[in-house]
Amino acid sequence: MVSNAFFLGKGGVGKTTVSAAFALSLARKGKKVLIASLDPAHNLGDVLDAKLSDKPRRVEEGLDALEVDLGSWVDRYLKESKEELKSTYSYNLALNLDSFFDIMKYSPGTEEYAVLWAIEHIRCELAAGYDIVVFDTPPTALSLRFLAMPAISTRWVAELTKLRERILARRQTITRINPSSPVASSCTDKDSDAVYGKLGSIKGRLAGLQSLFSQESYVAVVVNQDILSISEARRIADELDRIDIPLRAICVNKRGLSDAPWTLDPRLKSSKSFEFDFLRGGLSSRDDLTALDNSGLVADFMAEASKGTA
Amino acid sequence: MQGPGLALYLRKIAGTIAQVNREKAVEFVEFELKELENIFSLLILGGFVGLPSPPAPIAMELFPLMERELKIMLSRSDFAQDPLASLMGLLQVD
Repeated sequence: MVSNAFFLGKGGVGKTTVSAAFALSLARKGKKVLIASLDPAHNLGDVLDAKLSDKPRRVEEGLDALEVDLGSWVDRYLKESKEELKSTYSYNLALNLDSFFDIMKYSPGTEEYAVLWAIEHIRCELAAGYDIVVFDTPPTALSLRFLAMPAISTRWVAELTKLRERILARRQTITRINPSSPVASSCTDKDSDAVYGKLGSIKGRLAGLQSLFSQESYVAVVVNQDILSISEARRIADELDRIDIPLRAICVNKRGLSDAPWTLDPRLKSSKSFEFDFLRGGLSSRDDLTALDNSGLVADFMAEASKGTA
Repeated sequence: MQGPGLALYLRKIAGTIAQVNREKAVEFVEFELKELENIFSLLILGGFVGLPSPPAPIAMELFPLMERELKIMLSRSDFAQDPLASLMGLLQVD
């Protein structure tokens, strides 16, 4: 069942404005909505005219909002890993784990995983209190990396699991033939092997995230009437195809800002498109968001959301 | 040496022969197991030495549970310059 919405797109196209207006419309239709900003450079609070933190804050009746603090998620994760390592390799404390973990902060993949942990936290701990969760995403590069991460990691985990099964099978063979072998003292079956168990739990979490992205989410790309954002949207569509995440809608924002001729790329025409006028008066309060007529987008989302419940 | 003493002695010899045979029987599987465990560790930690590896956070989750594999990887690195020597030794090729 679709109960989440993600708005992707090039930096500056108006993802935050479109997602905030979308969340506000749903809330004013009586839905309980949480909107979460995943962008490290948050401006959701400015658009909603509210001071936000990494905990949900009531913006108005039916609408809560939060701004995910990716730095604190990375720190929390590294602290947990450090404690676990210290307890296992206590005789190796001379390794100076602290400096090692400082480097891990900048390791490739850590930022993308921090976004995934935050999404997982919202899904498991917060989403139950809401009808719909709307995600305002970071610019394209980071968004595509975190959306692809479950699919990529699942392949790795599957291969590692296969290798682990071979290892356990060999250990069982050795233990059966020669019970006095040193191998017999190690774990020989899947149930008692901690590594196998951990691989299983990682696989389960990744499957949950992949299901959230591909089956439970309404993914829309926000574009402007310019070649750059349209080209980037086409690349997003190609990448989403590759990782089996359906692109449900194209939101053409700031219509009328430019007189230059433009056309929607044929690659994007297979998705429904919705157009939003450029707000000439700008945004000075939350109510200004209602000037953005998103009734078509909201209706399409509600139709998708009701499919699972029908 | 007579009676129970001889029987015990013979039983010990038979037990030793059986144990030697058991160890011979699993020698190759143990070698293969160590190689598999070494590969598993290299895959998890390969990112730190420039090999393709899963995203670092996955490696970090598995790392604390891999004490045995890490010890094997370190011991394997001792003859990393001459891996064929240990294989030839196992096959008893002089």
